[in-house]
Amino acid sequence: MSMNNLSILLDKLLLNSSKKIKIRLLNEYFEQANSNDRGWTLSIITNSIKKKNIHLNDLKNLIKNKIPSELFELSYDYVGDIAETISLLWPKNKSPNLNLKLSDFMNNIFFIDDKKTVLEKLENIFNSSTSSQIYTIIKIITGGLRVGVSNGLVRESLVAFGNRSSIEIEEVWHGFTYPFFDFFEWLLGASLPKGLKKEDLFHSFMLAKSIDNKIFLEDPRDFVAEYKWDGIRAQMIVSSKFKLFSRNSEDITDSFPDLKFNSNDNYIIDGELVIKKENEILPFNILQKRIRRKKITNKILNELPAHFIAYDILYFKGKKCTNMNLNKRKDLLSKFISKINKDNITFSPSINFSKWKELEFLMASTLNNHIEGLMIKRIVTKYEKGRVANSWFKWKKEPYTIDFVLMYAQRGHGKRSSFYSDFTFGCWVDNAFDKLVPIGKAYSGFSNEELNQLDKWVRNNTLERFGPVRSLKSTLVVEISFDNINHSDRHKSGVALRFPRFSRIRWDKPVNEVCILKDIKSLIN
Amino acid sequence: MKLKNANWLIKKKEGLYCIPGDFYIDPLYPVEKALITHAHTDHARPNNHFILGTKETIEIMKIRYAKSYCNNYQVVNYNSPLTINNIVITFIPAGHILGSSQILIEYNGYKFLISGDYKRVEDKTCKGYQNKKCDTFVTEATFGLPIFSHPSDKDEIKKLLESVNKNRQKPHLIGVYALGKCQRILSLLRDAGYDDTIYLHGALVKITDYYISQGIDIGKVKNTSDLNLSELKNQIILCPPSAIHDKWSRKFKNPIKGIVSGWMNIRQRIKQKNIQLPLIISDHADWNDILLTTKENNPDKVLVTHGREEALVFQLNKLGFEAKALNLLGYEDEYE
Repeated sequence: MSMNNLSILLDKLLLNSSKKIKIRLLNEYFEQANSNDRGWTLSIITNSIKKKNIHLNDLKNLIKNKIPSELFELSYDYVGDIAETISLLWPKNKSPNLNLKLSDFMNNIFFIDDKKTVLEKLENIFNSSTSSQIYTIIKIITGGLRVGVSNGLVRESLVAFGNRSSIEIEEVWHGFTYPFFDFFEWLLGASLPKGLKKEDLFHSFMLAKSIDNKIFLEDPRDFVAEYKWDGIRAQMIVSSKFKLFSRNSEDITDSFPDLKFNSNDNYIIDGELVIKKENEILPFNILQKRIRRKKITNKILNELPAHFIAYDILYFKGKKCTNMNLNKRKDLLSKFISKINKDNITFSPSINFSKWKELEFLMASTLNNHIEGLMIKRIVTKYEKGRVANSWFKWKKEPYTIDFVLMYAQRGHGKRSSFYSDFTFGCWVDNAFDKLVPIGKAYSGFSNEELNQLDKWVRNNTLERFGPVRSLKSTLVVEISFDNINHSDRHKSGVALRFPRFSRIRWDKPVNEVCILKDIKSLIN
Repeated sequence: MKLKNANWLIKKKEGLYCIPGDFYIDPLYPVEKALITHAHTDHARPNNHFILGTKETIEIMKIRYAKSYCNNYQVVNYNSPLTINNIVITFIPAGHILGSSQILIEYNGYKFLISGDYKRVEDKTCKGYQNKKCDTFVTEATFGLPIFSHPSDKDEIKKLLESVNKNRQKPHLIGVYALGKCQRILSLLRDAGYDDTIYLHGALVKITDYYISQGIDIGKVKNTSDLNLSELKNQIILCPPSAIHDKWSRKFKNPIKGIVSGWMNIRQRIKQKNIQLPLIISDHADWNDILLTTKENNPDKVLVTHGREEALVFQLNKLGFEAKALNLLGYEDEYE
């Protein structure tokens, strides 16, 4: 297995946007690679190696010895990616014959400390490489492959490779680090390395099913009701280290230093992550803003403080408690919360009720914006992985449905690349009914047949084209559903909708019956 | 006597203009008299009163523009000088597409060579490029950056054929520009031994038929307009680049999509196009070929036009030529 195979893989991953094909390409590669190359490739694709000895500037200097810097800058300006610019500018070898093993590169070049030696070696390697190979090597050095492969997608490709299920892989994934040699042994059947303890690792979340009317026939005393918070699901692993994982098992510890604390005992806590300031939970889009930040400054920590609403516990003082029933777990959880005594980690309170009717009243009343609905949990159930039948139920508020006017359409991706399937919709700015303001985007909720009709309508009602986007005549009304609405300073309209999707196309409805921006804003609680 | 200052050929808003001859070269707007280097629509525009060009250029303009191709025309042969008002005009093969020319304009012993679009690599669908000594060389700069070094066209065609062999159940939709690129790809596929019928999107048929009528061998082709497209499986279908993601393309089952263009060496460009099979084949000179051509033509001055002028001007000045950008607007990258 050589550097060339990796280079071919990366180019193919870039060119194929289909998830299925990407998984197949990765799987084929892992099948064919030897054990060391598997590990190194995984390290590279997941950007797991933090050591950065050589910087982009060093590489720039390599090429600037060969070509005037004016030409380099003009080329970079055009290409927009330094690795690619260097790879295209490097003097072409008529018969490139790079014979470099990935593991040799990692051991003998990547991890060498002496910069001068490394740069000399790189120069020699580049001289016998193709552009693609140079590009690959630079990307390995600088990180950030941009081939559209998430960790989740890599994990899926590894399910087919070894003897482990996707849940198993997800749970141990964060326990391993580069070069992942031991991880591949585990995938193929070896036991977990000695240092890895279950209580330090991520655990798959227990998930809820949608509410089933049958449970209203049961005895309400067998259930607990809680608020369903509009934040992100998160798992907190407390020990001498501290870890925070998101719903899809991404490690988000570094984004939330304000939650961090350590303990001599191990605890694993399940809960909801929100932004809470002056005793008020802020809207979901504010939380998104915080998650997107790469650098967490003191300003952010002051303005957008994180808060963890705990509702379940999987490990208490190093002991597994997933086999206990919900009430016992809640007792342990409340013990834990009062013991740590932190303002930003609190207990999700249960709602007192003795009849189902009381909950129905509650759902019909105006629930706060940061509450999505209710969670109904059966007391006798253990904490299990995934969506377990008859255990937890989510009872969501009815979505809002509002009529809007279609404003722009954009082509989709993959199978939808010839269809205008991504829509921007809006409402009137004011009572003059002559100017629209965009409110949101929706890509789903319509059937294939409706998509065909929409596509045809877009093509026949285009005002202008801007690349893949078309502006549309203001004539078609669509009914949009969304789960929530909040203020937003990122949008021109000043509002942000949560999960907007089509609910109906109102071919019949006149556009002057669509509401004005003020009406939309009045929906915000 | 040789005029040091060739101020009789100037830039006007319509394009390059020759004062003593009262004609334009590839004007952007309709004019009285125009010399046309080649039939791509950004160089050959309709509604000029009188045009001068090779037989193929004029005939292709007629196919494309019907009545508005011009009011009057005169056909010129390659390398046959023609005199108008003491000006000697010679059309020289440019190797870009069928009928494409460079135009040499001599006045009082001073030689201007206007390259139009050109390429030096072999192309069996048109007459090969020839170089010419001149005093001022006006060169295109479509690929005027050192990042452009076109690979061998044969290797790129091999990539296409390998994909066809590997994906037996999938049609290959390949985006090519209708004039020149399409027929060159057909010819290259035949040279590589591909004998099957090659299918053409309706928009490519007229020009391809014209190439065939000129005796250019491109093997068996078929118009897809009256076929059931979903039945085409292990076939190569050529279409305009814009059709690749258009409604038309939906009728194919699991197609592999490709685009043939000199731009396809840049990853983010490929990504933007949303295709799996980029084929880097260009009908323009790349960076090294532009430099080589300039050296061979050995002019005192170089004027750089349409494309990425800045880098080329820099490099030519460095090589000792007096080079500057002509800054003509209106010639587009899209025809590549």
